[in-house]
Amino acid sequence: MAIGARTLQRHRPSQGLTLRATSLFYLGVMVVLPMLAMTIQAVQPGPRAFWEAISEPYAWHALKLTFVTALIMVAVNVVTGTATAWVLVRYQFPGRSLVNALIDLPFAVPTVVTGVMLVAFYGPSSVVGAVIGKAGWKIIYDQPGIILALLFVTYPFVIRSVQPVLIELDRAEEEAAATLGARPWTTFVRVTLPTLWPSILTGAGLSFSRALGEFGSVVMVAGNQPLLTKTAPIYVFGEIESGNRSGALAVSAVLLASSLLILVGLNALQRRGGVHDGN
Amino acid sequence: MSRAWPFRFSLFLSLPVSLAITGCQSSTAPNTDGLKIGAYSVVREVLHDGVLPAFKAKWKAKTGRDVAFEESYNASGAQARSISSGFDADVAVLSHSGDMELLVKAGKVKPDWNAGEYKGILTNSLVVIGHREGNPKSIHDWSDLAKSGVGVLYPDPKTSGGARWNINAIYGAALLEARDKNKEAPNLAPVREIMAAIQANVVNMDQSGRQSMANFSERKTGDAVVTYENELLLRAKEGDAIPYVVPPATLLIESPVAVVDESTAKHGNKELVAAFIEFLYSTEGQTIFAEYGFRPVNKEAAAAISARPAPARLFTTADLGGWAKLEEELYSTKGLWTTIAAERAQNRGK
Repeated sequence: MAIGARTLQRHRPSQGLTLRATSLFYLGVMVVLPMLAMTIQAVQPGPRAFWEAISEPYAWHALKLTFVTALIMVAVNVVTGTATAWVLVRYQFPGRSLVNALIDLPFAVPTVVTGVMLVAFYGPSSVVGAVIGKAGWKIIYDQPGIILALLFVTYPFVIRSVQPVLIELDRAEEEAAATLGARPWTTFVRVTLPTLWPSILTGAGLSFSRALGEFGSVVMVAGNQPLLTKTAPIYVFGEIESGNRSGALAVSAVLLASSLLILVGLNALQRRGGVHDGN
Repeated sequence: MSRAWPFRFSLFLSLPVSLAITGCQSSTAPNTDGLKIGAYSVVREVLHDGVLPAFKAKWKAKTGRDVAFEESYNASGAQARSISSGFDADVAVLSHSGDMELLVKAGKVKPDWNAGEYKGILTNSLVVIGHREGNPKSIHDWSDLAKSGVGVLYPDPKTSGGARWNINAIYGAALLEARDKNKEAPNLAPVREIMAAIQANVVNMDQSGRQSMANFSERKTGDAVVTYENELLLRAKEGDAIPYVVPPATLLIESPVAVVDESTAKHGNKELVAAFIEFLYSTEGQTIFAEYGFRPVNKEAAAAISARPAPARLFTTADLGGWAKLEEELYSTKGLWTTIAAERAQNRGK
């Protein structure tokens, strides 16, 4: 499998072929084949059985809960992520580079640890949890906890896709708008946002995709009660453990298909131009 | 967070390392016999710190040879699956006979594994209720878990086969009561009612019994935790005592052990494995299990637990119709527990 360390020369196409074949083979073995294997096993019982497995109340609720919580998370992320990127790019303040470095931290934290941290801070036995409990709300071991966990693990996506676009943005148009008497907010909505929105969508799509499969942190904070707080990945794990393979596979296939659709959509968006490559 | 957390965490982190190290020891070293154990997580401490060193010394005294153990600990169902799909453990120690039946189906364990004097059962324990210091919510029986304002913890029976012991105990106590009132046609409505009321009080369903315990003791979640007596006593041994009550009627936990013949044939250690099983059932072996919180199956070791509370009424899985029947009645898609969860969600108006 080793490819010679010599530089590949143009007039030796056979070597280039080997390299291309090898990397495609690698992609196939690592990514495509496992996906295909799962999909084939999932649809094997036939469309009716597949539909039954999906529409089973527990599976259906788990999927619904997963998509709804992910959507709410995306809505929050789009606003806060864009605002954070804006602050980081447009303002100077002490500690800015430190903040910038901290943005990626949620990617580095193991998700189970994220769950433990959230329970420690918002949980029923914490000060914050007690205050919230007094107000009659429940965050941890309830649906808000799921959204909280998703927000944490997807925090960098929107920021990191908007930031480079903002940095490269030509400010001449904004200045022109300001000279013509537009207020800052109007300038932002009418001039800046149209340039930003493809990158915002990219960040939103990526975070949504990531949230669909989130297991580690959610399993710690959600409460995992069927038909209340059991998300699709946790449902899949539970069904595998208790021997309902077909139900687990069907729900997995739905999650996988959704993630793929989002990726294809994002790719189409990028082809249409307007999205700068993120870092 | 309690001070025990970092320590436990470091233990958890060091586990793969220690496993890797034990895994690297070649079992064919001169003067050494190898023995592979595939067990469920709960017996990790009692085997690793108690039983295995004791047996090692015994074997050395008897034969002059060393034993190199290879230990794998995992959730019971996952362990059963891994052995049936080719993990070559010589001895399988599992949480309940339902998992052992998987191995029988896979042809790894003889169908007559439960024919001996102890019916294949290695340890006993009870399903009990752990509560807070001073019992502020005055919890003594299952019905107390159904009172409003009591936060209950038990693991998710979907993800932890072993966790089904807990719900089986609640179900069994209510069912026997119904049978007492009417032997011919017991009224199942109250059974359903108490299970639903307790489920409505469940704060969080963790993935395993261990996690529920940690959640109760370290993160102070809930007012009561339904768990196994041996888990609570093990924690007490480690300096984190949780007071508990034995409900008047509760379930006897019976956890099995069996030899995987295929593996012993492959490793050629039949004699060693036989001696090991014999040691597990010996008064000495069973006393070690008792020290770590289990209830011995060997009556001669019973002295070790004379100080423990005895339930007024103890029933077994067999009294409720066996594992397979319980799985079907409670946890299948149309099962009692499964549908109770559905009802609860509707009651929330969602």
